[in-house]
Amino acid sequence: MSATQPVEIISPEADNSVPLLEVRNLVKYFPLTRGILFKKKIGDVKAVDGVSFTLRAGETLGLVGESGCGKSTTARTILGLEKATSGEVIFEGRNIVGLGKEEMREIRRDMQVVFQDPYSSLNPRMTVASIVAEPWRIHDDLVPKNKQRSQVLELLELVGLNPNHANRFPHQFSGGQRQRIGVARALALQPKLIVADEPVSALDVSVQAQVVNLLEDLQAEMGIAYLFIAHDLSVVRQICDRTAVMYLGKIVEMGEELDVYQNNRHPYTSALLSAVPVPSADQSHRRTRIRLEGDVPSPSNPPSGCRFRTRCWKATEICKTTEPAFENVGGEHFMACHHPEEVAV
Amino acid sequence: MAATLQLSESDSVETTDRLLEVKDLKVEFRIEDGVVRAVNGLSYGLSAGETVAILGESGSGKSVSAQAIMGIIDSPPGFITGGSVKFEGRELLTMGDEERRKIRGNDIGMVFQDALSALNPVYSVGWQIGEMFRMHRGMSRKEAKAESLRLMERVKIPDAAKRLRAYPFEFSGGMRQRIMIAMSIALDPKVLIADEPTTALDVTVQAQVMDLLAELQTDYGMGLILITHDLGVVAEVADRVIVMYAGRGVEKGTLKEVFGQPAHPYTEGLMRSVPRSDVRVDRLEPIIGNPPDLLRLPKGCAFQPRCPYEQEDCLVDEPPLVEVEPGDSDRATACLHWEDVYR
Repeated sequence: MSATQPVEIISPEADNSVPLLEVRNLVKYFPLTRGILFKKKIGDVKAVDGVSFTLRAGETLGLVGESGCGKSTTARTILGLEKATSGEVIFEGRNIVGLGKEEMREIRRDMQVVFQDPYSSLNPRMTVASIVAEPWRIHDDLVPKNKQRSQVLELLELVGLNPNHANRFPHQFSGGQRQRIGVARALALQPKLIVADEPVSALDVSVQAQVVNLLEDLQAEMGIAYLFIAHDLSVVRQICDRTAVMYLGKIVEMGEELDVYQNNRHPYTSALLSAVPVPSADQSHRRTRIRLEGDVPSPSNPPSGCRFRTRCWKATEICKTTEPAFENVGGEHFMACHHPEEVAV
Repeated sequence: MAATLQLSESDSVETTDRLLEVKDLKVEFRIEDGVVRAVNGLSYGLSAGETVAILGESGSGKSVSAQAIMGIIDSPPGFITGGSVKFEGRELLTMGDEERRKIRGNDIGMVFQDALSALNPVYSVGWQIGEMFRMHRGMSRKEAKAESLRLMERVKIPDAAKRLRAYPFEFSGGMRQRIMIAMSIALDPKVLIADEPTTALDVTVQAQVMDLLAELQTDYGMGLILITHDLGVVAEVADRVIVMYAGRGVEKGTLKEVFGQPAHPYTEGLMRSVPRSDVRVDRLEPIIGNPPDLLRLPKGCAFQPRCPYEQEDCLVDEPPLVEVEPGDSDRATACLHWEDVYR
């Protein structure tokens, strides 16, 4: 392996000089307690355990992994919805961990969120127009009162909803339409970053693609960056510029599309990819898959050394004793494994 | 003359060959707001050792059709209003309750999506699996316990002997699904219906459970009906596919036929709109619009408002199911303009 200098990837819409978001060694532990009256701390659930990455303006980074890997907690901690145990979240050059309510409110103008469940994330008693305009009640300097109505209609049109439906209530819309309402609300403050937590996984296949395309179009038009959290590797491959694969609170591999989906080096990435069924008539590869045994270990008591070793077919003694370093293996490609997969030719 | 002879011949072959034969099944729910025709004409057959996938989105009627076969539809509001379901030549829909109960469990087993709510939280899993033997086979507790252990080992639950006395909440999602599979295969059913068996599971665990189902199917020679919304899962395990839309079976054929050369605009639309992990496309091609409101189905073809091949005649009548390959009733589509799709 040749020594690698940091390689600048030039993409048209991204300004590479300063990343929009930089996460450094982020840690989030949840205390495990016993007892009701006299609570005693008996350990920690290590939901996020040292996660680092950068996100450039206008870029989409996917965070993938199975349930319990810490992808959603990472997102919530970045947004300030959970208090980080340690580490830094640097947004536009400023560490926002531990900021007060007032300051965080200002930051959130540029950092919005779209949730998974379009059924529970919209207030059922509010009309679509008031849902979309709600952020302006908090950030009341952004759009003057007399312009709000016309702006709402514009936003609805932008996300592909009929502006004539502005006075309807959420229950009058289908799942896909509700997710569009959620996107319109997130766009109301013209954010630089949208954290999307499983935004399409509750939607039917035929509608999922509509929302994926909508997110791509909005990015091309407005230069928004996405932190896209999903368990579905197919969706992430489609929408993301770079992908980070998480396992038990850590990123095990990260890179551009082909780094992760074709020339992946970490065994967990290989196993995850080979478990995803491919919707194709050609099933010649049906039985040639890597099978992981057992379940993911508990994050309250992760294995020593490499956390994946208990399910890894390549694990040796060193994996037990030494945690593999998260290394650059060329370009934008990083991974943490003592026995990486051969590079496909 | 020859044509009719051929038809009756294939008809008789079907009734003797097939374990399960569903013909023009119709189920409706009479609710306050009107009548929902949840299943509105569904026909397919299932042979021993074969996997038939029923593919559809939410509201397509795929799960209701399975519940109708099992005879577990709440009535009212649900009513089976037409069609026939024959198991080994015997009509299930007109059968008495007692006889039906024997077939359910003994001959036809079912696995549900949500194992946590399908299992009883206050009984140990060993007891619940054993119940199948005590109820249906009249075994003693001790015999039933031995059978439970055998089954838990069969579905590869680690430390089965120790885990007999554990309760459902003490298991992970994948292990719970294995327990439900153990219960469903306890009495060696000839047909297993699996309704979204892996939807709530992570992909690596999903792969384990699908492997287990495939292995059990081979060992026991069961016919498997797999109900799913996931095109990938279908591609992975199905021999034949029935695509459902708004209560109707709109296309059927072998996996190769349906996924390789769709003959219905909806199937083609699904294939184009779904992202794949093995390849990235420039842009997904979604199906326009939204799934239909079953209370207000459009006139004519239910897919017509979202269909790129739509013409004026699509607005008139429901398109009949027609054979794509003349003489092969297993390869059919319900589209007036299927030849435009099937190129």
